Amino acid sequence: MSTPLQVYEPFKAGLPPLRKYWRSLWARRTFISEYSRSELREQHFDSIFGQLWLILNPLMLSAVYFLLIVIIGGSGGSMRYGHLTASLFLFYLVSNSLSGGVKSVTAGQRLILNTAFPRMMLPISATVIAFFKFIPTLLVFMIMRTVLGLPFGWEMLWSIPIILIALIFSLGVAILISTVNVYFRDIASFLPYLTRTFLYLSPILYEASALKPEFRVFQNFNPLFSILESWSLSIVHAKTPDLSSMLTSLAWALGFLLVGTYFFLSREREFAVRL
Amino acid sequence: MSSLSVSNAIHKTGDLAVSVQNLGLTYTTAIDRRPTLKARVKSLGRGTKQTRVVQALENVNLDVTYGQVLGVIGTNGAGKSSLMRTIAGIIPPSTGRIEVFGSVSTLLALGVGFNPSLSGRANVHLGGLAAGMTRKEIEYHFDEIAEFSELGDAIDAPMRTYSSGMYARLAFSVAATVQPDILIVDEALSTGDAHFKVKSFNKIKELRSEDRALILVSHAMATLREICNDVAWLHKGKLVTRGNPNQVIDEYQEFLHLGKSSVIDEDL
Repeated sequence: MSTPLQVYEPFKAGLPPLRKYWRSLWARRTFISEYSRSELREQHFDSIFGQLWLILNPLMLSAVYFLLIVIIGGSGGSMRYGHLTASLFLFYLVSNSLSGGVKSVTAGQRLILNTAFPRMMLPISATVIAFFKFIPTLLVFMIMRTVLGLPFGWEMLWSIPIILIALIFSLGVAILISTVNVYFRDIASFLPYLTRTFLYLSPILYEASALKPEFRVFQNFNPLFSILESWSLSIVHAKTPDLSSMLTSLAWALGFLLVGTYFFLSREREFAVRL
Repeated sequence: MSSLSVSNAIHKTGDLAVSVQNLGLTYTTAIDRRPTLKARVKSLGRGTKQTRVVQALENVNLDVTYGQVLGVIGTNGAGKSSLMRTIAGIIPPSTGRIEVFGSVSTLLALGVGFNPSLSGRANVHLGGLAAGMTRKEIEYHFDEIAEFSELGDAIDAPMRTYSSGMYARLAFSVAATVQPDILIVDEALSTGDAHFKVKSFNKIKELRSEDRALILVSHAMATLREICNDVAWLHKGKLVTRGNPNQVIDEYQEFLHLGKSSVIDEDL
């Protein structure tokens, strides 16, 4: 008798067999790229005006915030504006991943009820989409910092590992929030409050170094703090970021990814009956 | 987990296609159709139950061999759909083991089209990729799918503009066209207009072959009598009997105290 092509058995410790899961996830990477592409096309981000909108939105936002900090803080300067814009762009990577990820599982209902596939493809696609939206903003920033006359240097290359860390973090939160949304379908309506809070708690409207000592404590509870701090140092100031702050960001990112993945995988079995 | 990965093995009649061993399935489901944090917070301290445990299948043993056309019957909530989902690998079993010896294509209640804002074409591609097919395989089948579904130009329109019949036609076309070793159809023969119903019925008949296994869930007894060469009757998660279609269906209809009537026989 031939060996079975597929064997389905009860999960051990509530988790699917991980190696098999990973293999079938890897085999479906074309789904992830195809899905992100069709989704972006559907949102018209493949057209010039669509791309323009993508850039225009955070650009206008950074202009508004710049106005705010000039009026309230009484200080401007090209460095300040560069910091604000670059930080907002990276923040948007995380926030887009979060808002795209939250409904990724519930919106994939038909697919989940009809097809056997590693469900994690859905939040992963959301993060990939957020990343594709991030790329043009990065290009715009490079042009902008040239115009603003910010210093260039090799230290700016530190921004590459930082983007990677930010991606790991974005993926972690997307996976986590997509699972939570299966159980609480209204979680998406709380997201704006959450992102707004973290926007103000993070060194975006202000520089990390300018934070008052009594507020330093927030730094420890905000996973985005050290990511954004290192980001601004490398890409805006062209300085080498603090190693300890890079490691802290990586720890946060990996922590979120691990917790999110565990939570997702341990609940994944239920998705088909909960949707 | 791949359900549609192509197997090149040639299957002979009588070879095992699906082996279900001591299958049990229990799951917890939310009582609310759309559970929210708001509702949960508001009912805090009330002690109202949020979830319900469902024992969908219990100790089911079922072997399906190639060349077999198995009809699955039973009242609502008998566990038919749960059984199909576990065989397709959509819900992992709680106890027991399922072995599948071939590629599986499923046509379960909801069909394709997971993103209504994307076109039918994009949805077919994405559905195929999710099921583990390659781009090439999908390209190869796509024209046939589009033609069989009779959607015409609508294949490139967003699926939210489709009528339920169009949805169903596309779903059926995908499942029936990809030439799976094992085809699972869950109450989907009853979709579309009369013309398409006949067409899909004929397609199923055409798909019956020596090297394929078909599993059909249906309430349309006349159809099952005509197509199947084997029928299994599920009741409350347990397998009641299995065997000759006419015999099992007669027993089932007797159990329902209905006898033969045109309403049950009708292809709903």
